[in-house]
Amino acid sequence: MTVPPRASGLVSRPSGRRKEPQRLFWAALAAPGIIWLTVLFIVPFYTIAAIAGGTLDVFGNPVAVWNPLRWRTVNFTAAWHDVAGASAFVGPIIVRTLIYVALASLISLLIAYPAAYFVARFAGRRKALFLILLIAPFWISYMMRMLAWIDLLQTDGYINKALSFLHLVSQPVDWLGGLPATVILGLVYGYIPYLILVLYAGLDRIDPALIEAGRDLGLGRVRTFVRVTLPLSRQPILTGMLITVLPMLGDYFTNQLLSGTTGTTMFGNVIDDQLNSSAGIFEGQGAVFSLLFLLVLIAPMIYYVVATNRSSRAAT
Amino acid sequence: MHPREGWTEERRTLVTRRGFLRQGITAGLLFGGAGSLLEACGSGGSPGPPTSGGIPLPRPRHPVTWPIFHDNQPIKSGLPPERNATLRIFNWVAYINPQCLKDFGKKYNCKVELTTFENMDVAMAKLRSGQLNFDIFFPTIDVMGQLVYGKMIQPLNHSYIPNISQAWPDFTHPFYDGRWQYTVPYTIYTTGMAWRKDHVPENPYTMANPWAMPWQAKYKGKVAILDDARESISLGLMKNGIFNLNTTDPAQITAAGKALQELAHLTNMHVDNNDYTEIPSGQVWIHHAWSGDIATAASYMPKGVNVDVVGYWFPPDGRGPVGNDLITVLRDAPNPVLAHLFQNYMLDINNVLTNISFNGYMQPVNGVTPQRLVAEQLLPPSLMSTVVLPSYFRRGVMELQIPVTANALWEQAWLQAKSA
Repeated sequence: MTVPPRASGLVSRPSGRRKEPQRLFWAALAAPGIIWLTVLFIVPFYTIAAIAGGTLDVFGNPVAVWNPLRWRTVNFTAAWHDVAGASAFVGPIIVRTLIYVALASLISLLIAYPAAYFVARFAGRRKALFLILLIAPFWISYMMRMLAWIDLLQTDGYINKALSFLHLVSQPVDWLGGLPATVILGLVYGYIPYLILVLYAGLDRIDPALIEAGRDLGLGRVRTFVRVTLPLSRQPILTGMLITVLPMLGDYFTNQLLSGTTGTTMFGNVIDDQLNSSAGIFEGQGAVFSLLFLLVLIAPMIYYVVATNRSSRAAT
Repeated sequence: MHPREGWTEERRTLVTRRGFLRQGITAGLLFGGAGSLLEACGSGGSPGPPTSGGIPLPRPRHPVTWPIFHDNQPIKSGLPPERNATLRIFNWVAYINPQCLKDFGKKYNCKVELTTFENMDVAMAKLRSGQLNFDIFFPTIDVMGQLVYGKMIQPLNHSYIPNISQAWPDFTHPFYDGRWQYTVPYTIYTTGMAWRKDHVPENPYTMANPWAMPWQAKYKGKVAILDDARESISLGLMKNGIFNLNTTDPAQITAAGKALQELAHLTNMHVDNNDYTEIPSGQVWIHHAWSGDIATAASYMPKGVNVDVVGYWFPPDGRGPVGNDLITVLRDAPNPVLAHLFQNYMLDINNVLTNISFNGYMQPVNGVTPQRLVAEQLLPPSLMSTVVLPSYFRRGVMELQIPVTANALWEQAWLQAKSA
């Protein structure tokens, strides 16, 4: 096996004097992006916080209060009552959302992993073709893809026609009549391309020599997969799940399009309804929920960063 | 051509123009001291004109003639239309026939630029920012107080708008703008019940309480109500026999919300504003609906299905929800003369018919009769019940601006019903 030049120590390392300007150069290159991301995160975040702690004008419109010392807690209290108070109605919706997202994530992983594994390991010369096919859904907007499903899932749509043709159903299924399964499958369909791409990128980087080594040491196909490939896939799986689970948790559009019934309302729909409410107080509560949602989502992000750092250190 | 070609898909699926209509309506004026006004704002037996923070709340029984401020006067008479101008219009999505704009531009040798909004709250926020130089704005009745007292719209010079004589008499001195000082009327509509006659044998015209029509468990998954707090809580109120659609009584509002929760449990109802597609396609069999949306049903029928299977019920005695929209000239309009002429243009019967052919919503202009709409093939005879009659504005009930605290009760009941 060829030893990479960097590992062999043959490449001369830059001296300390040269290193400093180089670091500054790269930092300067990265600065616009970092500033851009910081502004895009901090400004909207603070605006939401200012509305969450804000007040109402004489016409009932929400007014942002920029001084945190003057923030009111009324919206936070009201939001808490909606979640856990006597007239709570948001609590069960949070539970429902978690169940939907957990199921959708699991199904996505079960479908995406073999697909990504196949492209990374066995697509051979057709890898480029498969990659294009994987990226193809991104050429069409998420909304258009969902709208296409509405036509497919109609009672007289192609899905029902196919099921009837195969004698799998005696009556057309009312897919758009408020079925949780439709919403979950919509989430799977909507977000799975992201998962496949991330998994592919990770799996493609696994050194085939490690798998060959496992086989050479006497492991069967299954045990090689379980003992070698799967542990090496942990990081891509974690990344892929983060990229798909987080937007799924806040998704409101899929449910709105494919169901729109009260029985499948998700947490994103509650926030959407509150932000679109004509009562300023509910817009404030919507801002509180958005804020809390963001804070809750930061936890897995931090875990991801820590886990990535840990695995990077282990690799070196 | 499809009458609604050009609608964005967002309109189809997100909150629609009509959906936002009511959202804006409830931006109550009252903030401090709201409690004392709760009783005054109920429509039944109020002792005097309801006000909110000193600003009157227009009611049919308490009309409001808005003041004209010394620093916001009408334009002078006899001015020529602006030359080489671009008339900029700020309107709801897909709510005016582009042909009308094209024809107006041709007639007055100007360009016409249409900018759309999907939400009255957002539209008002943009206008308040003062960054947009629109000439024409299409508001709802409920924001009149904000527009007048915020000096966002200018009083009209009537000499430029002779076609007001073609408007129904109720709209030349309307309760929300006495002596039409700031507005001319735009569209009118009713809210009723649309249903598929081929799937639903019940006929609301023979039912004891047609407003309760959706409350039938056998139509689970096939029932929809409008995604609109005021409209749908009003449905709950009317189902309970209450026709004060501006009630501030917490018990009545809560009971209406509970009725909708019961409906959710019975039917797992859809909550959307796609009445114009879902009823024709048969995806939904009973839909709480707007007249103008159902008037266009023929354009959305699947191949081979006759529009006669679609029914629309509105109380024959006119005692149901009615409403109308407005056209105003913004105070800082760069082309005020053209803006006035545009208002006049949109009150001409020929242009009105062109407009109806696109968006389905009627305009209160003489000559817009059920017979004419049918004769001009703008409406199938089976959907003549979608026609809005002048008498409806005397017998009907309107969802008007209510105080902030009452509005919060309505919204709370609605949010809970949607999540039931």
